[in-house]
Amino acid sequence: MEMVFIAAALIIGLGALGAGIGFGLLGGKLLESTARQPELGNQLQTKAFIMAGLLDAVPMIGVGIAMYLIFVVAG
Amino acid sequence: MPRAKKRITRLPFYQWLAIELSLIALLSFGWSFENRLAGYSAFIGGLIYVIPNAYFAHRMFRFEGARQARLVVGNMFRAESIKLALTAVFFAAVFILIEPIHVSALLFTFAVMVALSPLLRWFIRPQPQR
Repeated sequence: MEMVFIAAALIIGLGALGAGIGFGLLGGKLLESTARQPELGNQLQTKAFIMAGLLDAVPMIGVGIAMYLIFVVAG
Repeated sequence: MPRAKKRITRLPFYQWLAIELSLIALLSFGWSFENRLAGYSAFIGGLIYVIPNAYFAHRMFRFEGARQARLVVGNMFRAESIKLALTAVFFAAVFILIEPIHVSALLFTFAVMVALSPLLRWFIRPQPQR
């Protein structure tokens, strides 16, 4: 049963790590490109918002599966 | 009106919500052919996605423009963390408090909503006002 909790921790932890790296790169590029071309700031923000949706898809599904493992399989 | 409050981009918030809720209703209707439990489980699975996502969209477009780029990025990080935490809390609450629940319908609807949301964001993107 302990393996289920380890699996859930790995799913959430690695998902959060990937999302953190991705959002760090996305936010850095957004700041950099807004500093280069301030007049495109709002368009870049919209593009970043669309990319954020793609970026957090896998961690979100991971959270769902991890909660299922913790509360249904192990619970 | 203060400069910080002026809207540069019109966020099609209600349009998104309407389309996402219609999609959830459609999926729930499909699952309700299996049984009633699967129908409402699918609806709950969709809501678990839509509520944190609506918060994320609201929080990310709180600040706009090149002058407030640092605030935009800071808000994006905070909104994402809170969105993931809200999703985990909602899942935990559903698995603990709602008994019985059709897990396949719940997770399937959630996964479909997650997969379709970037497409929806691409087709109905926020429009600049000027």
